[in-house]
Amino acid sequence: MYGRRASQLLKELDSCEAGQLAPFNSDVFDQVVRECNEHNTQFQSLIRKMVEQNLDIETTRNEDHYGAAVHHLSLLRNKRCLMAYMYNRAEVIQSFRWKIGPVLPHEIQEKLHFSEKEYFKNHSTAIKSYMSEMDIDLTVDMVPPKDPYIQVRVLEDIGEVSLGDHSISLTKNSLHFLRRTDTEQFISQGLMEEFLE
Amino acid sequence: MSTWEDDESSSAAAAATTDVDLLKRAWRKEKASPEILRFDSPLVSRVREQIQLLEETLDDFAESGVDDLVVSLYQMDLDRTLFLLRSYLRLRLQKIEKYMMHISKSEDLLSRLSQQEQRFAKSCTEMMEKHLEQSVLSKLPYGYDSVTRQSLSSTEDDMVPEPQLDTFVFCKTKSDVGAFQLDDIGEEVVDLVADDLYVLRYKSIKGLVENGQIDLI
Repeated sequence: MYGRRASQLLKELDSCEAGQLAPFNSDVFDQVVRECNEHNTQFQSLIRKMVEQNLDIETTRNEDHYGAAVHHLSLLRNKRCLMAYMYNRAEVIQSFRWKIGPVLPHEIQEKLHFSEKEYFKNHSTAIKSYMSEMDIDLTVDMVPPKDPYIQVRVLEDIGEVSLGDHSISLTKNSLHFLRRTDTEQFISQGLMEEFLE
Repeated sequence: MSTWEDDESSSAAAAATTDVDLLKRAWRKEKASPEILRFDSPLVSRVREQIQLLEETLDDFAESGVDDLVVSLYQMDLDRTLFLLRSYLRLRLQKIEKYMMHISKSEDLLSRLSQQEQRFAKSCTEMMEKHLEQSVLSKLPYGYDSVTRQSLSSTEDDMVPEPQLDTFVFCKTKSDVGAFQLDDIGEEVVDLVADDLYVLRYKSIKGLVENGQIDLI
């Protein structure tokens, strides 16, 4: 049935948890693109047939006209599905810049189409240039601050760090009570996490 | 230091609204509105000045050894203001990301953005178009390869994501507006009284939001 494969792509998007990404389905994607081109060939040949019979394409309503219309509409539907698939994935990819940072981990990279990787990189650059024009870092402070001090657990050995007027040694699994602003960079790099009892 | 105090005393007279309060209001409105609102450039730069002053004050405190409790209260205040500012700017960028194509083709919407946001919207749109072009559109047959239209037979742009303006929003009136017409034909009229809460379609109160007669919450 026409359009079934394209809807598979969208079902796949839908079955993904919000904000998550499934691997780019290049098999189905390419099949749908092929389907589009077949529809177009069929459409063109039906139109040609009508022209050869000296029929007015605008007004004739014979079986060839409706056949051509079905191919045209199927093509439109496929296009909408392909675009929706790409566009919705691109939206998730954009959100990664805010949630994960400018470098994506390998597991996510693997799931992307080459053009999506490029898009992520370009989009990151656009955000970066906005932040440097405004001279403000928007990737910190993602949740409203409650307390100027927070309890953190160190996830990786960081070593001796000087914070303000004193230096502390941040060894793996140790707990510390620190100024929130001092911990932010470590938390976003995944070296620390907020310790909640 | 003096500007900060001046601001504080003069605004205390003006119904105790500080710039931070104004920013909070702008932030809340932006959060609740389905479309992008006008960027309040003067407000943002005033808040940024105040943040800088507060940071300098904190540095002075550190040198002169002021009580830790006082320092942490100032720090908390600073943290909150910074969060508000960042969140406001972030919200706007995310809205631009979402409706970049819709925004880029309307002069009115573009004029609501700051210059930096306009540049961001422009490069975002170019990138998204390039991305869709090389991944999908270049593989489709002639006549079906436009980003904004489904095919050559579409008479207008029918593939651009737009915000839903007829969605419902919670809002609070600041002053009496009086009888207000919600639709075009005048069948639905509501009496907007000061300081009352309403749930209305965004589209119908858009004008009141823009001129500040009503707040979104």
